[in-house]
Amino acid sequence: MRVSDRLTVWCRRIAVMTRKELLQLFRDIPLMAFLIYSFTLSVYVTGNGIQTQLKNAGLLVSDADRSVSSRELISRFHSPYFRFDGELTHPNEGFVRLDRGGSMMVLDIPTRFHEALVSGESTAVQLFVDTTNSPQGLSAAGYAARIVGQFSQELIMTRNGQTGSSSTTVPMILSDHRVWFNQDQNETWFESISHLLRMITIFAVLLPAAALVREKERGTVEQLLVSPLTPAQIMLPKVVAMTLVILGATAVALFGVMLPVFSVPIRGSVALLFLLTALFIVATAGIGVFASTVTKNQAQVGMMTLLVVAPMLLLSGIFTPLETMPVWVRYLMALSPLRYFIEIATGILLKGIGLEMLWSQALSMLALGVSLFGFGMWRFRRQFQ
Amino acid sequence: MNVRRVAAVAFKEWREVTRDRIFLLLAFCMPAVWMFVFGYGLVLDVENISFVVVDRDHSSLSRDYLYRFYQSRYFSFQGELAGEGEADAWLKSGTARAVIIVPEKFQERLLSGQPADVQTLIDGTFPLRADITKGYTIAINNAYNVDLLADHLARTRGLSRDEALRRTHPLGLEVRYLYNEEVRSTWSTVPALIMFSLMVSSPLLTALGVVREKETGSIYNIYSATVSRMEFLVGKLVPYVMISLINVVVLWLMAVLLFAVPFKGSLLLFLASSILFILTSTGIGLTVSLLVSTQQAALIITVVVSTVPTILFSGLIVPVSSLSQAAQFQAHLFPGMYYTNIVRGTFLKNVGPAVLWPDVLALAVYAAVLGTIGYRLFTKRPSV
Repeated sequence: MRVSDRLTVWCRRIAVMTRKELLQLFRDIPLMAFLIYSFTLSVYVTGNGIQTQLKNAGLLVSDADRSVSSRELISRFHSPYFRFDGELTHPNEGFVRLDRGGSMMVLDIPTRFHEALVSGESTAVQLFVDTTNSPQGLSAAGYAARIVGQFSQELIMTRNGQTGSSSTTVPMILSDHRVWFNQDQNETWFESISHLLRMITIFAVLLPAAALVREKERGTVEQLLVSPLTPAQIMLPKVVAMTLVILGATAVALFGVMLPVFSVPIRGSVALLFLLTALFIVATAGIGVFASTVTKNQAQVGMMTLLVVAPMLLLSGIFTPLETMPVWVRYLMALSPLRYFIEIATGILLKGIGLEMLWSQALSMLALGVSLFGFGMWRFRRQFQ
Repeated sequence: MNVRRVAAVAFKEWREVTRDRIFLLLAFCMPAVWMFVFGYGLVLDVENISFVVVDRDHSSLSRDYLYRFYQSRYFSFQGELAGEGEADAWLKSGTARAVIIVPEKFQERLLSGQPADVQTLIDGTFPLRADITKGYTIAINNAYNVDLLADHLARTRGLSRDEALRRTHPLGLEVRYLYNEEVRSTWSTVPALIMFSLMVSSPLLTALGVVREKETGSIYNIYSATVSRMEFLVGKLVPYVMISLINVVVLWLMAVLLFAVPFKGSLLLFLASSILFILTSTGIGLTVSLLVSTQQAALIITVVVSTVPTILFSGLIVPVSSLSQAAQFQAHLFPGMYYTNIVRGTFLKNVGPAVLWPDVLALAVYAAVLGTIGYRLFTKRPSV
């Protein structure tokens, strides 16, 4: 047989097997329904729903002064960051409310607050913060410090003016912030992107893993092995079919939800995005393929893959910034394709950059994919010899 | 319900589990491994934000100002740029998350008592990080402003430095942290990780139980047996509830001994609500198993249903109060949120049933509803 003929046969076999996999997938109605839910409604609810910046932190106030100044200070704690949960007659009442949850902090303003401020004395207010959720507590305290600092600075300015200084200006640094790539700090962009990536990861690992183990469990893989197909021709079509399905779902999520509803921009090349998404799916599928070769049934493969996927989802930088990770986690996550793909996805969509800046991430993903796949393929072959 | 028949089903299920060594090992290892990895790895303090500077002034005061950023553990200095034009490439490639631009005449203006604008360009792709970066720069600027002002007052008014400093602090804020006095990240994550580990691993234990028998056909043995629907479902659940119970104890011990998180509340309340929580989480797996007809579908649906809401909507990191209404609704649909309240309440707050009863009740109702759904879904006379 000539080389070109062999190639045709090879391709045809792959095509036939891919079609078989697709048919099998599409016949599983609950699974397909769930796939659609995951890439549409779920992306919408998450993109819309998650707010990582401080929002609605319940504030209780114990105002012993009840003066113009105290009311002015309280009014600075406003939405969207804070939610006024009511006034207390005594600070101790606040602790009971914090115990119960719902409210997050108690602001305690002392008597003679206004008097002290007007007469030029120093005074202080107390803030009690529930830190059972420590980042939120710290964030709330940070905002409160900013508010009180601003209030204090304005006081100094008015006092300065009152004492008849020649110039009303004082030396100070005015902070001017420009947020790039997302001027309005619209959280739906990042949250919907990260959720899409989360869904791609789960499906890319589990679909081929379950499909491969199923054949083993049921014994149908024996039939395939006695057919003219090589192990690669058995394994690849599964990955190809799953990749096509997930790519389709990604397109639905992107063009059906993220663009029209959240107006996520596509500042870079769509073709490059889908090309690298395909690479990501295949690389991630490598984890599933590998897991399928060391397990015997679907329960095992499910637990094995989830053991690995959960840390990927939480520590790859799609949930909390990579900057928060301890050094050993950062080294560990070098093995997670998702860690690179989040930079690629946000880079292409929000920053509008291309391969000239993303080549190292793309190469790392490729290297991971090739090694995971190569290893999986080797194990898969060996199993049946 | 006949206890002997339940025991028979449970015993058969238990044998199947113990014979599958890999499954058994994973069932016990998974939660513990996660607790270990996330307990040490899921740190939430943002530090080392990489930044570059453009110093147009090159004065001693601008260097003094920028030094505060170099020194800060929140920032990590990457280099100085010749001009603003280079900022684009640094931010786009992600090698810097912020660019601080000190204007010309920075020193001149400040020394003559005028304000100076310092511009910070921030990479906004990750809004949380952008927000934190902004907060840190404002904090550094504010602290610097107070010093500038004190110097200014001391110079122009002829005050002593102490007196000047006192005048620049007319209003202070004293913050006291409650329940987690030293604001340790582990104290707040580790209790919630008990919830996470159970909520993600337990459904998977039961998810394939029924659908596997459907796929292999062994379910017909059950159809033709005398065992009733309820007996079968309870028997199916018992071994996995036991595994998860052992896991609860292991996770609790890890939290208290390994991570040294204080347990201030009632152990009885914790254990009782943990049992309810395990019933709901294993129940979710069983319900999925009854709904679908292939193991592949059961596996994927269970993984998505158990991990996604648990990560996003259960108060693990993002508090439920800051979610949108649709997301809050979804949060209330999953048991994770209630159990997070109970775990944090019993670990850190020392609150009892008087405060936590709504959460415990919600879990109980949840378990009852799942039981009813399971009972309704399972039929011994399938139409096909």
